[in-house]
Amino acid sequence: MRKTTIRTTFTVLMSAIALTACSSQSVKETIGSGGDIKKPVVSSKTNNGATNGTLNPDGSSKVSTSEQNGSNFNYLPGSNNDPNNTQDITLAGLNDPNNLLSQRVIYFDYNRSSIRPEYMVLINTHSKLLAKYPNLKMRLEGHADERGSREYNVALSEARSQSVKNIMVAQGPRSDQLKTIGFGEEVPVVSGHSPSAWQKNRRVEIKYDDY
Amino acid sequence: MANTNKYKFLLTVLLFISSTVAIAELELRISKTSDDGIPIYLANIPGGANGIIEADLKRSGRFTVVNRSKINNLPPYGSVLNGGAYSNIADYIVRGKPLNGGLEVELTSTSDNAKTIYKISSNSNSRRVAHQAADKIYEKITREKGAFDTRLAYVTVTNKTSDNRLFRLYVSDSDGHRPKAILTSRLPVMSPAWSPNAQQLAYVSFEENTSAIYVQNIFTGQKRKISARDGINGAPAWSPDGNRLAMSLSINGSPDIYVANVNNGRLTRVTTSSAIDTEPAWSGTNSIIFTSNRGGSPQLYRISAAGGTAQRLTFDGKYNSAADIANKKLAFVRGNRGAFNIAIRSVNNSGADTLSNGQLDESPTLSPNGAMVAYTTLKNGDNTLAVVSDNAKSRQFLTSPVGDVREPAWSPYLNQ
Repeated sequence: MRKTTIRTTFTVLMSAIALTACSSQSVKETIGSGGDIKKPVVSSKTNNGATNGTLNPDGSSKVSTSEQNGSNFNYLPGSNNDPNNTQDITLAGLNDPNNLLSQRVIYFDYNRSSIRPEYMVLINTHSKLLAKYPNLKMRLEGHADERGSREYNVALSEARSQSVKNIMVAQGPRSDQLKTIGFGEEVPVVSGHSPSAWQKNRRVEIKYDDY
Repeated sequence: MANTNKYKFLLTVLLFISSTVAIAELELRISKTSDDGIPIYLANIPGGANGIIEADLKRSGRFTVVNRSKINNLPPYGSVLNGGAYSNIADYIVRGKPLNGGLEVELTSTSDNAKTIYKISSNSNSRRVAHQAADKIYEKITREKGAFDTRLAYVTVTNKTSDNRLFRLYVSDSDGHRPKAILTSRLPVMSPAWSPNAQQLAYVSFEENTSAIYVQNIFTGQKRKISARDGINGAPAWSPDGNRLAMSLSINGSPDIYVANVNNGRLTRVTTSSAIDTEPAWSGTNSIIFTSNRGGSPQLYRISAAGGTAQRLTFDGKYNSAADIANKKLAFVRGNRGAFNIAIRSVNNSGADTLSNGQLDESPTLSPNGAMVAYTTLKNGDNTLAVVSDNAKSRQFLTSPVGDVREPAWSPYLNQ
């Protein structure tokens, strides 16, 4: 429990670092739907060809897989129709920062529980891991940002974790391998009252028992 | 740890020993007071009860406390007072003295020199004596029951964004004094709700790593689990008769309103929508007002506690939620243009007034007489409590030197 919390915190931290560290690579200034705040959109591509997910302050996000050599993650579940090809979807992958499975956070839009398309690959990959290891158990912990009332946010965050679960169970794992929980706005990863802080807190964290 | 606090609390109640747990002693800061309220002059009372009475009357937004320097020749309590001599300065004059550990307070109307004397008996909590005096004065003048001698429950959290975060559920006097922690947990504690007899709190705790609703006696610490079903166990609200708890459960998919009988556990489903239904509040014994996003955005609806068709109550703004009801008044959160504020209206009429002006105000809770609303607001980046009068003329902040204070729940009237 403690371990996975640290790990997900680390993932978010890495995303934040990627945001600032990559600002020289491909930064565009855009005006979001809010209209009042400048939001740099960053796409991250690390030099060693690692798989990386980034979170943009405007709420959009990217799960990208580099084509460069050096990546030890070469399986693209979203583009592979062979359900038996799960060779890279292993428990070892959970602790490999170069494996997509090491990414455990899914972000959401304000007051929404629908899954952004860019997270489908990530969700499917975790789902296939669950299907491959029937004894593996997962908790999907939903969270909301601080805006709006607290119990409504509990319901919203539960709906977010249910959205993830619904996609996952369609891929094969037994539904009793997945447990959902809504923490509402009670457990933020970052303090602060800005759009970027809110975005980081609107999330579902994937947590594996014992991993 | 929880046991230690319980034990300390028990000691405090039974043996009148001041607790050493004072981590969340709240500091009262008066932000604004009414300058066109009923003018009242409070003479000094040995022991300082007049200071407590003054803060209470100011908080109601119905009084303007006359500056002490305006009267310098007031006869001391025990000597004859001719109220008429001061009728151009104050409508009422309060004098008093300590009496057998309690208080004797005299209220003089300067228009007709009519005098009323109240004898308040002693209490283990000496501040309650002053609050009871303020309640008498308030009721005599406004003809509405006073609600100063009541309590607040609230939640604090320290280290909010770290793994060392600690949640505490507190009970204090209604002015934030004498806080006692009745629960400490590393996992979220939220949504405290008072039983009608003001002796028990229902709340949501994630202490077993999943949400559950508990009921705890605030004096004995005795606690029992009411609901720990799959999914959400949230938003408990006591029925006025104290026999039922309305709550939001997601056992059948999306969150719906249910009513659980506290005595036999029997569960009745009230709403059946596929949307989010949560935050029930009782409006009388047979009606529930709740938040639902069935229309696309969170709005308030009313439904019979037995179920049936829900009627939408709010139409202004994209976000109306978290209803609290007392004395036929309805306080709720209204979100508009990115800001969330506290609004108040009559339960039966539309047309709400906005009472707060923060950016992210939430968790409104009415005093039992409906004259004041406590809520959560951001101050210097942290959540803190505020109390505003229903006419918005008075506002006081209850700030904590450490961490976040949120989710106030105003108790019903105390049965001594």
